[in-house]
Amino acid sequence: MCGIIGYTGFRDADKVLIDCLKRLEYRGYDSAGISVMFKEQQVFKDIGQIQDLERMLPDLDGTIGIGHTRWATHGGVTQMNAHPHLSTSGKIAVVHNGIIENYTKIREDLKQKGYTFASETDSEVLAHLIEDHYNGNLEKAVSTALKKVKGYYAIVVTSTEEPDKVVGARKSSPLVIGIGDNENFLASDIPAFLKYTNRVIYLDDGELSVITDKGVQIFNDKNKIVNRQENLIEWDYKDAEKSGFPHFMLKEIFDQAEAAHQVIRGRVSEIDRNITFDENVENLLANGIDSINIIACGTSYYAGLVGKHMIEKLTGLPVTVELGSEYRNYTTKNNTPLVIAVTQSGETLDTLTSLKEAKNSGSRTLVVSNVTGSTATRISDAFILTQSGPEIGVAATKTFTSQILVLFLLALKISKIKNTIGSDELYNHILHLKELPRKIRQVLDSSDNILEIAQQLKNTESAFFIGRGINYPVSLEGALKLKEISYIHAEGFAAGELKHGPFALLTETTPVIAIVTKDSNYEKMLANIGEVKARGPLVIAIAEEDDTEIEKHADYVLRFPPNSDLLSCIPIIVTLQLLAYHTADLRECPIDKPRNLAKSVTVE
Amino acid sequence: MEKKNRMKCIILAAGEGKRMHPLTYTRPKVMLPIANRPILEWNLLNAKAAGIKNFVFVIGYKSEMVRNHFQNGKKWNIKIEYVNQGKAQGTAHAIGMTEKFVNDFIILCGDTIFGKQDIKNIIQKKNSMGLVKVENPEEYGIVETQGKQIKKIYEKTPGPFTDVINAGIYHFNKKIFDFIKKTKKSPRGEYEITDSINMMIKEHKIEGVQLKEWRDVIYPWHLLDANEEILKKLKSKNNGKQEKNTNLEGMIIIGKNTKIMSGSYIKGPVVIGDNCKIGPNCYIRSCTSIGDNCHVGNACEIKNTIIMSNSNTPHQNYVGDSIIGENCNFGAGSKVANLRFDKKNIKTTVNGNKLDTKRRKLGVIMGDNVQTGINSMMNTGSSIGNNCYIGLGTVVYGEVAPNARII
Repeated sequence: MCGIIGYTGFRDADKVLIDCLKRLEYRGYDSAGISVMFKEQQVFKDIGQIQDLERMLPDLDGTIGIGHTRWATHGGVTQMNAHPHLSTSGKIAVVHNGIIENYTKIREDLKQKGYTFASETDSEVLAHLIEDHYNGNLEKAVSTALKKVKGYYAIVVTSTEEPDKVVGARKSSPLVIGIGDNENFLASDIPAFLKYTNRVIYLDDGELSVITDKGVQIFNDKNKIVNRQENLIEWDYKDAEKSGFPHFMLKEIFDQAEAAHQVIRGRVSEIDRNITFDENVENLLANGIDSINIIACGTSYYAGLVGKHMIEKLTGLPVTVELGSEYRNYTTKNNTPLVIAVTQSGETLDTLTSLKEAKNSGSRTLVVSNVTGSTATRISDAFILTQSGPEIGVAATKTFTSQILVLFLLALKISKIKNTIGSDELYNHILHLKELPRKIRQVLDSSDNILEIAQQLKNTESAFFIGRGINYPVSLEGALKLKEISYIHAEGFAAGELKHGPFALLTETTPVIAIVTKDSNYEKMLANIGEVKARGPLVIAIAEEDDTEIEKHADYVLRFPPNSDLLSCIPIIVTLQLLAYHTADLRECPIDKPRNLAKSVTVE
Repeated sequence: MEKKNRMKCIILAAGEGKRMHPLTYTRPKVMLPIANRPILEWNLLNAKAAGIKNFVFVIGYKSEMVRNHFQNGKKWNIKIEYVNQGKAQGTAHAIGMTEKFVNDFIILCGDTIFGKQDIKNIIQKKNSMGLVKVENPEEYGIVETQGKQIKKIYEKTPGPFTDVINAGIYHFNKKIFDFIKKTKKSPRGEYEITDSINMMIKEHKIEGVQLKEWRDVIYPWHLLDANEEILKKLKSKNNGKQEKNTNLEGMIIIGKNTKIMSGSYIKGPVVIGDNCKIGPNCYIRSCTSIGDNCHVGNACEIKNTIIMSNSNTPHQNYVGDSIIGENCNFGAGSKVANLRFDKKNIKTTVNGNKLDTKRRKLGVIMGDNVQTGINSMMNTGSSIGNNCYIGLGTVVYGEVAPNARII
């Protein structure tokens, strides 16, 4: 994720842009930059946080400009690669959030026309491409240029030829307009400008907008003017960093539709029926793999368990999952498996120690992390970023689903390399992946129903989560979420294991949350629910939306829209996250900062 | 094209007015109603009467309410531009926002009501500021003068040497912005226009103008004083319908579609908004303002009170020396005490601080959306936050937080 902003008005643009970027910092903060127009484009950009950029800024004249805060996903974190990017003549400045898939071809074409490139980023081609199409009207140039572009973008553009205009456009990446008095804004998210105005207009996909200090115009993809009502934002700018959500955790749960999109975009090609990673990763995977070790802690460990299920099912390779803190005690190190370390922060000490040990014993190492430049990404042979943006709530939510999706992409990639699935089957999985963001949104829309069910849990002392197959690690994660934020004692069990011990703990006052998908385990799960019911506790089933049978077995049913057998776990997890969240909220727990826990654990 | 040098009036309207809680939890201070118009509208009307046609409102806290009410000013035949202050960082910061929009201009603090003639006098004197003599100068920034010239403005100080204070109205030109830019943060962390002016005095003469009318409102009960003062200046106008056997005496304004039913006894000055139902059989006493869509029902007595729009005192209620927010409803028999047995000054609590209101009579200060149950009672000087339920038969005293349920 990246954050972009455009401003035109009467205030000093440099100060406004910095102020707005600070409120977009949650979208990334490894490099930042602004360009303020005053006769020419005055560009200041560097690696580091927005405060660092602020410190290096002189007092700039000009009341119009654009800005960018970056969370590197393509290309290194360098000053060159930071936005804004200028066109060859230096007249046009562009900030971009997204991916230009066909940028190599566009770049070659432009180079032949004599355009010179300063960076390696896909974003820079936009600046030159717009200049190439410029004919006295910036919005027309942007609109024609974007027609040549394949990919996803939200862009904001200025040109010294038209010093009163900021042009913005979006496709699949967010961009909203803030309507002020004698000033207007374009931004990736509302909190950016909420201090200055609470009147917003949402841009739809494919639309383009021109803002001046006097007004706003919106055009659809056929260049027709669109009239749209402005909306009033009720929340205060003090709550803005949470986008109006009461807690970071809830905001991050709601971020997951976009986060899923972020994992998939640029890596999954429907047409080529292929999954692509960075060169390092591709090379690592290309050499024959016989077995896989996954190392992780906490929530990441559960992501690893879900990943094991996916990889084994698709590739047939044996996968073991080890806790970071236990890896050195158990694993035999005489063979050399591919070791995948899963760590959100890339700094979890237990995982790092195991990773080093794996390297020392000659294993190839691959890291799945959310933070580029973190220790784990530096010491491994290759890494894959989850691209979820910073996660602030201590309880992991969006990074968990993103980790699972990365492992799923890995499973698909390895299965393609090893030829364990056919092209049609791969294509099917890709289609299911593309469906996911919508399914996540469906679950998010049912948040109020989940709140109703949370009422049943709020006064309980302990709760069981049960599932079979892939839903077993999912139930472990469901229990972990509930215990870490609501302080209710919660345990996840493989449903078939209940009778081998845990039943001794089951009383009438222990609610059981049962995950039931219509897979090969369906009948067995119904039988397990029957066993539980016989002992009197309340059963809450998490079931597919068209499952009519389940109502006869469970007291309450929470429904989710199913995906494929391997990907249904994602909407289920979102349901469980919301259930834990609402329960903790009803119990008035400090959700974003649970007692005794820290976001990334850098001690053993 | 608009003339560049046309006199403009900047009105500072961005503040929340925390000392006006609970009334300002749901509206900015300048939108508090006095005689059924927001404070800001009285200033706008007076400034317009003094000849001003172009206004710049500096807005911030709940700015949409200001904008929705005033729009572009067409209704008043004037032109309003808005500037959003962003984060509130003091008066100098607020005024600094307007640099690009003004040349020759006067500035009014939007939460103080200034008279038409005084505004005229200020307009006529370039580089001037309004001064006023008050009985409690320790509450304000006092001003040292030499002849007509201002020598220095002081911050609020105990034991002040003069009773002349800074009234909060100024006439400046572009020069002030140079000094605003040089102004440093004050000890309370804000950019104060008084600091900018003190710097300016060293290079430019600023003249003091004595004001004749001046009413500032700091705490909720000050609204009652301002309400009384304004009501006494208004002229009667009856746009409503009046049944037989009603008694109306003194200055009374009645809005459109308002129905005054039999047995109503109204003693002015009183203003009643549009679409109200008054009576039957009620007693509305002097210095009362009742907003739009209100109902004062059978056997109710309302005295020296502001009732905002969409609120009802429908059955057997006594409400005296009180302020009732919007969308409130009184249960049958719910009453307000407004006088202590020992006749001492009434104390009240604002944001946890206990204050002497210096009033012998004060009832309740009630925020928006409050419902009181039957026979509930509100003690003198009680304050109720917005969205509260006051259960049946309960007694309310002190400060009740918003969203509370008293049962």
